[in-house]
Amino acid sequence: MTAKTTTQTEPQWFVNRKPGRSIIVARWVPVALVSAPVLILFAIVIYPTIWMFYHALQDTNMVRLFQGSWSYVGFANFAGVLGAERFWNSVVNLLVYLSFGACLQVLLGAALALILYETVKSNALRTTLLILMVLPMMLPPSIVGVVWRFLLTPSNGAINQALLNLGLIDSHIEWFNAGVSLWSVIIADVWNWTALPLLIVYSGRVSLPPAVYEAAQVDGADGWTTLRRITLPMLKEIIAIAFIIRFMDALKFVDLVFVMTSGGPAQSSELPAYIAFQRGIRSFEIGEAAAYAIIIFIFSAVLITLFLKYIKKVLNAQGFA
Amino acid sequence: MTRAPSRPPPAGRWPLIRALLLAFLAVWLLLTLFPIYWQFITAFKSTGETNLTVPTFWPREWHPENFAAIFFERSNLNALIDSFLIATGNTLASLFLGSLAGYAFARFPRQAGGENLAFWILSNRMFPPVAVLIPLFLLFDSLPWGTDSRLSLIILYLIFNMPLATWLMMVFFRDAPRELEEAAYLDGYTPARAFIKVTLPLVLPGMISVAMLCWIFAWNEYLFANLFVGTEVRTFTIVIPTFSHGSQTLWNLQMAFSLIAMLPPVVMFIALRRYMVRGLSLGVVKG
Amino acid sequence: MAGLETRGLCKGWDFPLLDQLDLSVEEGEFFVVVGPSGAGKTTLLRLIAGLESADAGRIFIGAREVTRIPPYHRRAAMTFESYALYPHLSVFENIASPLRARGERDPSVRRRVTAIAELLQIERLLERKPDEVSGGQKQRAALGRTLAADPEVFLLDEPLSHLDARIRHDLRRQFHTLEALRKTATLYVTHDYTEALSLGDRIAVIGGGGFLQVGSARDIYENPVSVEVARHLGQLEINVHDAELVAQGGQLQARVAGAGDLSFPVAEQHARQLTAASTSAKREVSLAVRPQHIALAGPDAGGVPGVAESFQAFGATGALTVTVGGATFRVLTSPDLDFREGMPVRLAFDTAHFLYFARDGGRNLARGESGDG
Repeated sequence: MTAKTTTQTEPQWFVNRKPGRSIIVARWVPVALVSAPVLILFAIVIYPTIWMFYHALQDTNMVRLFQGSWSYVGFANFAGVLGAERFWNSVVNLLVYLSFGACLQVLLGAALALILYETVKSNALRTTLLILMVLPMMLPPSIVGVVWRFLLTPSNGAINQALLNLGLIDSHIEWFNAGVSLWSVIIADVWNWTALPLLIVYSGRVSLPPAVYEAAQVDGADGWTTLRRITLPMLKEIIAIAFIIRFMDALKFVDLVFVMTSGGPAQSSELPAYIAFQRGIRSFEIGEAAAYAIIIFIFSAVLITLFLKYIKKVLNAQGFA
Repeated sequence: MTRAPSRPPPAGRWPLIRALLLAFLAVWLLLTLFPIYWQFITAFKSTGETNLTVPTFWPREWHPENFAAIFFERSNLNALIDSFLIATGNTLASLFLGSLAGYAFARFPRQAGGENLAFWILSNRMFPPVAVLIPLFLLFDSLPWGTDSRLSLIILYLIFNMPLATWLMMVFFRDAPRELEEAAYLDGYTPARAFIKVTLPLVLPGMISVAMLCWIFAWNEYLFANLFVGTEVRTFTIVIPTFSHGSQTLWNLQMAFSLIAMLPPVVMFIALRRYMVRGLSLGVVKG
Repeated sequence: MAGLETRGLCKGWDFPLLDQLDLSVEEGEFFVVVGPSGAGKTTLLRLIAGLESADAGRIFIGAREVTRIPPYHRRAAMTFESYALYPHLSVFENIASPLRARGERDPSVRRRVTAIAELLQIERLLERKPDEVSGGQKQRAALGRTLAADPEVFLLDEPLSHLDARIRHDLRRQFHTLEALRKTATLYVTHDYTEALSLGDRIAVIGGGGFLQVGSARDIYENPVSVEVARHLGQLEINVHDAELVAQGGQLQARVAGAGDLSFPVAEQHARQLTAASTSAKREVSLAVRPQHIALAGPDAGGVPGVAESFQAFGATGALTVTVGGATFRVLTSPDLDFREGMPVRLAFDTAHFLYFARDGGRNLARGESGDG
């Protein structure tokens, strides 16, 4: 055996080495483990997406589809959709839903999460309250829809009766009339989904390092300053994620609309996803439904990309990814 | 849960503000619980009482037999059984596929396709299913088991549950020390046996929580069920909204039925509380 | 036949870590690799165990080449620095793990585990979980698991490093007496030179991508090939000073640079080696003196006068720093002395144990014949 000294130039074997070669498992094993989910997702997500893209550019409906007689029409389906009052009506509804549904849920959820964390001292009580407040989100949406349809029954529903008893209204509110029914859906949705941003922000708050708060306390910062200078800046990404998730959900939001109002009366509470569902599945206008689907898909893709960006940040900060 | 000693000094207006904040919390809690309370008392009311012009906030008489009535009707029972079989089947499939892929991502990230593939799989969870309903319907219609079957929903629910299981299991596998598996290799266990002997027992609690989460999402699902099944197979999620007796809506029975159907997810959710705050919160993205 | 052999073993991560490493451990030999952290000790073990794959080179266990054989077929047993005990299994099942892997029957597993537990004196802990036993007991359980494997080669990664002094001492003694370790090739890595010197049949000092020196404890300690090896081994760091060799009246003298006229006569056996080669290149040397080769001389016994700088007592020994002229020397003393700064002392140097290194490259210029080089 001979003694060796460090060589300054990189040896040949080092230049030629193949990193990542393992003798523990064969190279195909990890590939095989991952390939089953990937193949399944190709079959039930990627292939249908391509199909939709193709048919969004065709003049087709269910009959033509089975006859094989669809024809290329370029962007005519999109032009049709964008020219239709029904679409713009649903876009306005979506904007209302986003502002008073999604945004309200995130703001409310974040506020409730921070209030819960900061004001309730007992550990057991805090956990119990958290579970109770998060509970609605674990309920089947169709049951949520049914229960709220029942609660909001105009003639003898609990909500109207409670508002009457409290003296807030003089006569029954017609919750399912045009112009009101969308708000009924939003109320049910806020009840159902405020829990999600609440849970996300609460978890984010729990994972913030206590040392920062101790330092702030030593510096004599009051509650409001601590909230503005420490908590909110550190939860920025988490709150952004909560917004993005709720916006993504808004784009696929169908179930409560379907169960509570079926988009009615007279299409007044329709959202784009509901129309895509209606036109494709109930009316078999495949070309038109595909155009709706593609519009939804594109907005979703943007939001998903944003979501991944933020979640990578958060996961990196928490040491996950 | 550990807490930061971040309580602001009790001087000045803080006690008043705190009281107001607590009141706000209490009001929200009431609003959260009221619908469930209403559901509960309605389920015990008589049909006549549910149809009163002025609803009662406490039942005049209790009718627990409403719950029994749900089970007497064969179709209700079948709906619960179908939902159970579909949720369980999908959970097992999601967990099996997701665990294997999650393991590959955790232990052999480079060979398994790297971070980007893992994030792509996760992104499928956010995918709007409404954008692909038609081709999926046609695809399943052409398959031997058709659309109106348990298997079709078991497969379709993989769209949101498999990415969730993959992702969460990846996190759990990363937390299980690799060195223990290496020790098992040196003891003479092949990777598959080392996985079963060492890694699986370590991630089992996490795995059970993932299973419960997947099960809840599959149990609750409405959109696919509404479109794909309905004749041969009916899940409770599509039965309850259309629940009626003749032309009359029997609110008390409908509420009793929904309470029964809510019970499993609620119980599981409470069982999940250990994982609720850390780890799962980002996974609890709506399906 | 070698129990364990590597030929030209290479492994790099961001930089080459092990470069063309050759190693040969006989059956029954206790071979210790010592070196600082980051020198590649653990990587070497993981390569031999098969947990990492080599970038180049070959590995043999027994007569068999195992370079591309996966760890579970290599018949190497390894203890991990973190113990890597299975937290969900009892100590018994941890030790039994290799036996279960081979599908041994229950009675024979029980017999074997009990025998190993008795040997390691952990028979009363067998039903406990690893979390419920102390660090030293965990270490024994981990060692028990490797013993149960009945391997062709033992790989021990810093097995004593996290233990307190008394348990270290106990276990160190056990390593000498364990029958299994005496029959099988054992590769033991540590950063602790005391451990290395006391345990190894042979010792390798690792550094710079390979072994700097391989030899017996005595050889490495007394005849280090380079100043780097000398610096690495020894209680208190070795004193190294630039010196010039000058012949004075037929006697070679080493004059310490920057220390006035401080010079030492070069011992005869060293002078032979030093003058054997051409003198011109060897005039400028690094003179190294181990702290234990300097003694305090009595007031009348002559010796070199110096001034005490500082003193530290470490339990069994003391470390005294003395300046002689401009040069500082660390001296190993007994701990119960009382020195104050500025006190005059007299030092007796054991010139027979002086080491002379080339200033350029640090090679030992007066290395004896006893090395294997």
